[in-house]
Amino acid sequence: MVDFFQNTIDGVMIGSSYGLLALGFTVIFGVMRRLNLSYGPSIMIGGYLGTVLYLNHGAGPLVVAGAVVLGAAIAGVYVERLCFAPMKAGAGIASMVSSFAIWMQLEQAAILVLPRHTYPFPPLATGATLEFGPFFVRIDHLIMLVCALGLAAAVQVTLYRTRFGLALRAIIGHPVAAHLVGINVRRAMLLAFAAASAIGGVAGFLVLAVDQQVTPMFGMWATLKGLIAMMIGGLGSVPGAVVGGLLLGVIETHSQWYFGPQFRDLIAYVVLFAFLVARPGGLFGRAPSPDITTPQKA
Amino acid sequence: MLDVSDLVTAYGKIEALKGVSLHVESEKITCLLGPNGAGKTTLMMTIAGILQPRRGSIRLGGTELVGLSPARIVARGVALVPENRLVFPQMSVLENLLAGAYQRSDKAEINVDVERMYTRFPHLRERHQQLAGTLSGGEQQMLAVARALMSRPRVLLMDEPSLGLAPLVVAEIFSIISELNRDGTTIFLVEQNAHMALQVAHQFFLMEQGRITFKGTPGQLAEDEVIQRAYLGTRRTAG
Amino acid sequence: MDFYFGLIQIIGVHTLLGLSAYCVLLTGQVSLAQAGFFAIGAYVAGMLTVIAQWPLVPALGVSALVAGATACAVGFPALRVKGLMLVVATVAFGEAVRLFFFNFTYQVQAGNIRLGPHGGEGFRQIRYFPENGWTTLDVMLFIWAVVALVMAGLWWLNRSRAGAVLRAVGEDELAAQSTGINITAVKISAMTVGGVIAGIGGGIFAHYTTHIEHVQFGVVLATFAIAYPILGGLSNVFGTLLAVIFIQGFLIEGLRFMGDWRNLLFGGLIVLAMNVRPRGLLDAGAMLALKRLFFSRKERSDA
Repeated sequence: MVDFFQNTIDGVMIGSSYGLLALGFTVIFGVMRRLNLSYGPSIMIGGYLGTVLYLNHGAGPLVVAGAVVLGAAIAGVYVERLCFAPMKAGAGIASMVSSFAIWMQLEQAAILVLPRHTYPFPPLATGATLEFGPFFVRIDHLIMLVCALGLAAAVQVTLYRTRFGLALRAIIGHPVAAHLVGINVRRAMLLAFAAASAIGGVAGFLVLAVDQQVTPMFGMWATLKGLIAMMIGGLGSVPGAVVGGLLLGVIETHSQWYFGPQFRDLIAYVVLFAFLVARPGGLFGRAPSPDITTPQKA
Repeated sequence: MLDVSDLVTAYGKIEALKGVSLHVESEKITCLLGPNGAGKTTLMMTIAGILQPRRGSIRLGGTELVGLSPARIVARGVALVPENRLVFPQMSVLENLLAGAYQRSDKAEINVDVERMYTRFPHLRERHQQLAGTLSGGEQQMLAVARALMSRPRVLLMDEPSLGLAPLVVAEIFSIISELNRDGTTIFLVEQNAHMALQVAHQFFLMEQGRITFKGTPGQLAEDEVIQRAYLGTRRTAG
Repeated sequence: MDFYFGLIQIIGVHTLLGLSAYCVLLTGQVSLAQAGFFAIGAYVAGMLTVIAQWPLVPALGVSALVAGATACAVGFPALRVKGLMLVVATVAFGEAVRLFFFNFTYQVQAGNIRLGPHGGEGFRQIRYFPENGWTTLDVMLFIWAVVALVMAGLWWLNRSRAGAVLRAVGEDELAAQSTGINITAVKISAMTVGGVIAGIGGGIFAHYTTHIEHVQFGVVLATFAIAYPILGGLSNVFGTLLAVIFIQGFLIEGLRFMGDWRNLLFGGLIVLAMNVRPRGLLDAGAMLALKRLFFSRKERSDA
């Protein structure tokens, strides 16, 4: 029983990183209704920027964190300008394919800068733990959970209590009508994209600090985990993103415990598949959203 | 007030507007009639800046609107109530109104205007916390009009406000249109429901296949035999 | 010379992969499961020729059947969802297949070595071609015979009533449904045909590389599969072929001299292509222009 609860706690902790990744994804998907495969690789670019500062200039965790967030946001803007802003309505799939191409580009750029397979990343709390009776949690995991909940709350407040949030929700509702009431839709989308990538950057920094290493594969990992957590939680729902992430973490740790590490991801994918088919809107999602990835007519 | 001259808008190789010129008079209701596919909505979308014209000019007072972004055009004083209303379905009635005032920063004045809209459209006051997507078609149309008015436009463009509404609701919408006009709002209206339009509008244009083919007053319109047959004849319940 | 033969083989196999995604795309569905079907084809065909000692062609037939049956079985639940949901559901399926093979071991003793898939180490020694004395040229010709057959089949399908039905579903599901088309049946048929083609492609792939492992069949391959028809355009099968030649021949091989800088340009060029031609390289307009070109030539030669 202790094991069961300890596993659940570990799952929630690991899941908070998935929740953070899903949060950024949700903002992009909610506003654009398009799939950004370069989401993870943009974060990876931020991670590499942080690592370079750490290796070459001995930067501390705060500077590195800032660099990761900034790098991810800049890479995100680059992706938006190339793959999303120029694509007309109905060309969602062209955006997706383009973002895949940029993914390869960003991965290659990272390898050009730092050609070895892995590089060290500065830790945040070197694996120190807190004990609660028979249970214990890592401090850096706890920071991750707090950040996930805090950022989710911040995103929710921004969406529902600010002028910028009003503009974003108007765009989500009806892009044309948003133009008609005088919202600068292109600028709002760019800002949302940069903010989403920055949120991803926070997630990236925390995960990399826990792992204490960075590899070019981090990009794909982040895209997949964020995507899965978002889909489980529900499209376009901020609480859904976090809960989906936590749930994914719990599913993973339990599968690993009962079936072994090699089955962890397999089970996560099977659960995701079952989830999508049985409840396409996710836990918190509304009815499946308009179909933006439909291919354009030939 | 609003001058459109020689406007050409195209989708690829197909010209939807083939050199449209018309004039909307200040403090009047101007109505554009025409069959489906004549280019009426294209004209509205071009004036609002959603579509870019290939050629021609749109002037408000003395300023050119062609080339400005939709947001700038709203700021200059042109607001469009779009076809099918396009309210923001997942936002409350109040939030829809606030979105309509997006270009303005005078908070106190905005609240005064919200109050004004609630007075003019009592239904909206009753439902101000309700999500716009849950309103009836008529209420959504009122909300769309109120949202457009929130930007304090000098010209209000309306694209088929009677579309898909029950006859009683249509009558209500049109009485609001003349009321707004009596209070001094300049209105440029696209309609298929010629009978209703005939009762409120001061000036008519007829558009067919991307061209203006008739221009005149309600009297002249009612006398024109071709128009009689095509638009007034048996289409009593049109729209 | 062998280098070029090898390249032409790669182009052939990737064309099959792209065409399998093309079938599904015609009905308006974006599937990232094609790499999974491709993997199933590769493992099944490999096991049949290596462990069961079957000849290649029947082995490919069975791998096509197994992959097609899997596609059909996956299609029933998966095609209840559309758009992004389907994209993610098919990613989940494809990754589940990959991880299945990551954990899958089935080996037999043959002399002093063990043959068959061995989990994460993959499946080595699929030596049907060298053991039976096929030269690179033979393999290349065989692959292209299969590609030509599949393309001809799809070309014919495209111009038949079935093709019109597929496109109708892709253009507007509601309208198609209202004319009495059974949308679910159409989508699942397209998925099944796509699975069959991917299965054949995977089976051939296993034999010319002689060594397969799970990492080859991941999300990246699945995205390539979908990128070919999107980049090429959906108006006909040659778009997909053109896109494979563009990506595999030009961007990957042609730019090899650029070394590490290749992928930077690779990404940029695909984005450029998608910006300039969002409906694909060979869209309806380009096809019309090509037809005119050939038509006017004919007129001239007639005169």
